[in-house]
Amino acid sequence: MQVTLLINQTQHTLEVSPHETLLSTLRRLGYFGAKVGCDTGECGVCAVLVDGKPLNSCRLLAAQVEGHVIETIESLGQHPHQGWKQTEGLHPLQQAFIESGAIQCGYCTPAQILAAYHLLQHQPNPSEAEVRDALSGVLCRCTGYLKPVEAVLRAAALLRGEAVPPLAFGDRELLSLPVILQSPSDADGTAQFPSSEARTQTKILPKVIFSPQVPQHQRIGKPEKKVDAVKLAQGKPAFAADFEMRGLLYAKVLRSPYAHARIKRIDTSRAKALPGVAAVLTWQDIPRVVYSTAGQSDPIPGPLDTFSLDNKVRFVGDRVAFVAAETPEIAEQALKLIEVEYEPLPAVLDPAEAMSPNAPRIHDEPEYVNFAESDPTRNLAAHIHIDIGDVEKGFAEADYIFEGDYEVPKVQQAHIEPHVALSYWDEDDRLVIRTSTQVPFHARRILAPVLGLPIKRIRVIKPRIGGGFGGKQEILIEDVAAHLTIATGRPVLYEMTREEEFIAARSRHPMRIHLKTGVKKDGTITANAMRVLSDTGAYGCHALTVTGNTGHKSMALYVGDGEYRQRPNIQFHADVVYTNHPPAGAYRGYGVPQGFWPVERHIEKIARALQMDSLEFRLKNALRAGELHPFSTAWSEGREPRPEVIQTCGLEECVRQGKAAIGWDQKFGNPQWHEVPGKPHLRRGIGVALVMQGTAIPYLDMGGASIKMNDDGSFNLLIGATDLGTGSDTVLAQMAAEVLGVELEDIIVYSSDTDFTPFDKGAYASSTTYISGAAVTKAAQQVAERIRLRAARMLNKAANGSGEVTPEMLTLREGRVFAPDGRSVSLAEVAHNALHHEDQEQIMGVASFYSPVSPPPFAAQFAEVAVDIETGQVTVDKLVMAVDSGVIVNPITASGQIEGGMTQALGYAVCEEMCYDEHGRARERDLRHYHIFQAHEMPELETIFVETYEPSHPFGVKAVAEIPMDGVAPAVGNAVLDACGVNIDDNPVTPEKVWRALQAQRQEQSA
Amino acid sequence: MIIEYHRPPTLAEAVQLLQRKHPPTRPLGGGTALNFKGEEPLAVVDLQALGLDAIERQGNRLQIGATSTLQQLMEFPDLPSALGDAIRRQATYNLRHQATVGGSLASADGRSPFGVAMLALDAQLTLMPEQRTVSYGDFLALREEFLTGHLITWIEINLQVELVTESVARTPADLPIVFAALARWPSGRLRFALGGWGKTPTLVLDGQGHEGLRLAAESAFSAAADEWASAAYRSQVAGVLAKRCWQRLASGI
Ligand SMILES: Cc1cc2nc3c(=O)[nH]c(=O)nc-3n(C[C@H](O)[C@H](O)[C@H](O)COP(=O)(O)OP(=O)(O)OC[C@H]3O[C@@H](n4cnc5c(N)ncnc54)[C@H](O)[C@@H]3O)c2cc1C
Repeated sequence: MQVTLLINQTQHTLEVSPHETLLSTLRRLGYFGAKVGCDTGECGVCAVLVDGKPLNSCRLLAAQVEGHVIETIESLGQHPHQGWKQTEGLHPLQQAFIESGAIQCGYCTPAQILAAYHLLQHQPNPSEAEVRDALSGVLCRCTGYLKPVEAVLRAAALLRGEAVPPLAFGDRELLSLPVILQSPSDADGTAQFPSSEARTQTKILPKVIFSPQVPQHQRIGKPEKKVDAVKLAQGKPAFAADFEMRGLLYAKVLRSPYAHARIKRIDTSRAKALPGVAAVLTWQDIPRVVYSTAGQSDPIPGPLDTFSLDNKVRFVGDRVAFVAAETPEIAEQALKLIEVEYEPLPAVLDPAEAMSPNAPRIHDEPEYVNFAESDPTRNLAAHIHIDIGDVEKGFAEADYIFEGDYEVPKVQQAHIEPHVALSYWDEDDRLVIRTSTQVPFHARRILAPVLGLPIKRIRVIKPRIGGGFGGKQEILIEDVAAHLTIATGRPVLYEMTREEEFIAARSRHPMRIHLKTGVKKDGTITANAMRVLSDTGAYGCHALTVTGNTGHKSMALYVGDGEYRQRPNIQFHADVVYTNHPPAGAYRGYGVPQGFWPVERHIEKIARALQMDSLEFRLKNALRAGELHPFSTAWSEGREPRPEVIQTCGLEECVRQGKAAIGWDQKFGNPQWHEVPGKPHLRRGIGVALVMQGTAIPYLDMGGASIKMNDDGSFNLLIGATDLGTGSDTVLAQMAAEVLGVELEDIIVYSSDTDFTPFDKGAYASSTTYISGAAVTKAAQQVAERIRLRAARMLNKAANGSGEVTPEMLTLREGRVFAPDGRSVSLAEVAHNALHHEDQEQIMGVASFYSPVSPPPFAAQFAEVAVDIETGQVTVDKLVMAVDSGVIVNPITASGQIEGGMTQALGYAVCEEMCYDEHGRARERDLRHYHIFQAHEMPELETIFVETYEPSHPFGVKAVAEIPMDGVAPAVGNAVLDACGVNIDDNPVTPEKVWRALQAQRQEQSA
Repeated sequence: MIIEYHRPPTLAEAVQLLQRKHPPTRPLGGGTALNFKGEEPLAVVDLQALGLDAIERQGNRLQIGATSTLQQLMEFPDLPSALGDAIRRQATYNLRHQATVGGSLASADGRSPFGVAMLALDAQLTLMPEQRTVSYGDFLALREEFLTGHLITWIEINLQVELVTESVARTPADLPIVFAALARWPSGRLRFALGGWGKTPTLVLDGQGHEGLRLAAESAFSAAADEWASAAYRSQVAGVLAKRCWQRLASGI
């Protein structure tokens, strides 16, 4: 049918089919600001304004909006300077989103801005609750909503013509600079839906406790705007799917309805005959190459157990066939025409049964390649046993032994941009893959044999990424598009649906954990042993390394006190088994949240049993600076371990700061505080968890950087590091700018393209700021050295014999090179001199970095809850996290990491889990049932940075990205215990679990 | 899959289209729930041009046009605040601006807070072409039948009725595990409905006294088990929420 649509004041008359959604029409017309997130109306990133109202374009037929006024983000604002043309510039909302750090991956930003725009049209002076309500329809997995809310409030003030306080940020004192535009409304701890009275305080800048060791810097430590924020605020076509290509085909994947089955027969003839179908591939059509989808360095520390397509399926959702067609609808239809005869096999759905002798064998393929102790005959993907000291001796020396069983669920990364890849042959017959990946270089290396191409004939481009959280540290989709491009010769786009994300992408490993701890009467831990059963699902991607980190981090924190500090007794034992569940994989925190749930729940119980102050007990036994990381001599991601001494540990200060911020001393143990006036069914509780993480994998993770100087004294910074929304491009640019003495805008960052940027292992293991940052710093230092050499020569020439300077005497700042006596040349003059005038050279630097250590960040996580003791409902009212992440390069992006991480971890604490029925079919298949936190239901969040100066990094940094995932769930679990005296040992802490525990407690009390 | 789209300018034409047997033809409200990509070929009749998007107060009665959006209803000045909360609970900002009252009532499942609240309020629906009035409870009992060849045009609620709601969920905005709504008429009539489970909201009680309320709530959910909660839990919580609803009504909170 023909429709005429008025989009951004332009009329488009076009043919649409009756079922075509407005989203698909908009993207077909090149309005890429409306994003694809779920197709079912849950995530809201496709929102556009229709007659001024923010509506989800995936839930509107194109035909429905004929006769209405459609506005997309593209209509809102523009870059202020477009050559000789001045524009009105960005809209104040866009400006505020950029300045407030409200943009992380930017995938949901256009929709958030449009929803806010609508609000401000009707309510120029909104309350925080109203802003939160307006943003409620747009899911964001990165920010925790705090900064977007603040951005809208700032923009509203600006639009009202009020003066808005700048994001001033003082230097080097003990700082506490919250910018509060809205006073926090009264927190009464009620469990009511906070629609009319959101309790969240809004602060843009975190509190930073500076370390006297940290030197004064120009760019480091400053809340610089993200370098990619301007394009993201405008909804520019920056993501993998925002790409137009002639002859593009759309891929779809047929997925298994069985948890375990052999494909006896597969007939694609009817599908191939469907007009518009370009290719149908099954296991019979492509080479049988065994590989691992885990995006890790060579050699992959895990078994090779995966094929692009196989004649066996191992979970509901496993791949059966690929289709490429002219439209997504035709491809979908073709899937239905593929006839498959399955021979169902008995499935393993309980990890406890996976290794029993009668269990069906999941991997019986002869091509299977073992790694270390994997043993497919026993469904064992990985096995770890680590003895540090002698736990039996330690237990014998203890006065008490505490044992407990814990369980953690499978959960999803739920990045709002789905997995998406586009592949095509370029004019040199090289295969280009534009993909939303965290690991472009690993993707290229791993795909080469799978596709039958040498590495040199593959080019992987990583555009902006709409969130990854580990889910995209996986070679999960690129092969689908690439095989189909090889089969058809045409460009192919493969974009996973939200349902595929749930049933076929990766997730956090669920685990069952047993803990045994020996303690002396005085609270000294004498031995600590953890036994883990981890379910990797049908494939062993990240099986060994995720579970290894469960022990490596969570079991390293409590070494014991006194003599045990030097000789801790720790045991870690793990079996990682195959089951017929969807595969687990990398997810922010990488095994460590799974470890800290049991450890911190267990430690809390011990402290209470010993009647010790739970924080004192923790700090008494916790690792300190100057001590050996106990696991550093025992295990290193399946590679050779080497001893590592902890250089910095701000844990005690984190505890002090966190306690003060949450009011621990006034609340903990205060019976009055635990009651809620007028609400006899509510009990308040407060809880804590101490956590540590790592920073990169020592002796392995490497990042490279190259910097070249341009005529105007600007620099191109090329990095392989993959900014997946975290702000790493910005932070790396800040380091370059610091060394080169320029403004951030003089550093033009590009990441990443395997043809143009140096190698980087990718975005994982919390390593980018540390590893890639050090590489950038080194490259910048090389450039600075060349600049000084030339500048000295220029200054000396100009001085004509008087006041000779040597390069070492010169400093780079404000875009100039200064001699001690104040003479200077500009960087543009140096660049012109180098490129055009004398002794010509391209001033550039290339460097790389890897680290012999993995300095752990530490944190104290606090939570405050209200428990309804009649229904078991738990409401989390406040989360405070005090973090030692070394020097904070950018307080806005770093606090964004903490806020977003705490929010994601809050889901792990109270609502997120993936469950399966007796046939292995998923309960959670969409974002309606897999609930992630929305803007209007957030607790108050507070972030505090306690700086330390890590000597192994040129700017003293440690990691920040993963640690917020670790402590929220156990802190909430401990707060629930504090509130009502019950222990929930398996997260999430859901109302029915709490209710059952309360019932049991009452029965016990009455008996 | 939607194979035909119609936007009739009159109710008569809409009804005529809806009464066709082939292809199966459905009203289109906001479109947020209608499955665009389903297996079966489907024709849709978009109701937007029928002028059914008004909300009018007539004395104590609120007449709500079926294509009014949830947001429009929420913003209506005299709406019982608990109904506004139920709407907010039902749908987030964007969806509220798109989903219609008629579509929401037609598609409400057991976990629909708005559906539960409207059931407690004993909302009356006007159905075309017969132009007859059915209560929302009766409509839910025979939903499929009512939806074939019919159309909801107006919805009416009594503004004198007091409403309170209570719920339990994993998070403040998650789908409710149990949602309870209690309405009281000036005459003392009480109507209590439960949600959080099943294919439709459940009417628990319609009568005068509150004495049996808790027990009725418990027994209404005594078999309310699914993959999200056990019946034992839902039943107990239903009782607790029923008690709280009554206490709030009684104390005027
Ligand atoms: C993310 C998301 C979350 C949701 N959460 C919930 C929830 O928690 N609980 C819940 O119950 N629902 C939920 N829904 C469904 C929600 O109820 C509907 O999306 C919405 O309220 C339907 O309104 P609509 O106008 O968009 O209906 P449409 O999609 O247009 O229509 C829905 C159905 O009603 C019929 N219909 C529409 N108007 C009329 C009319 N006037 N007369 C007769 N029939 C009509 C249609 O033919 C169709 O069968 C959710 C939906 C989404 C997208």
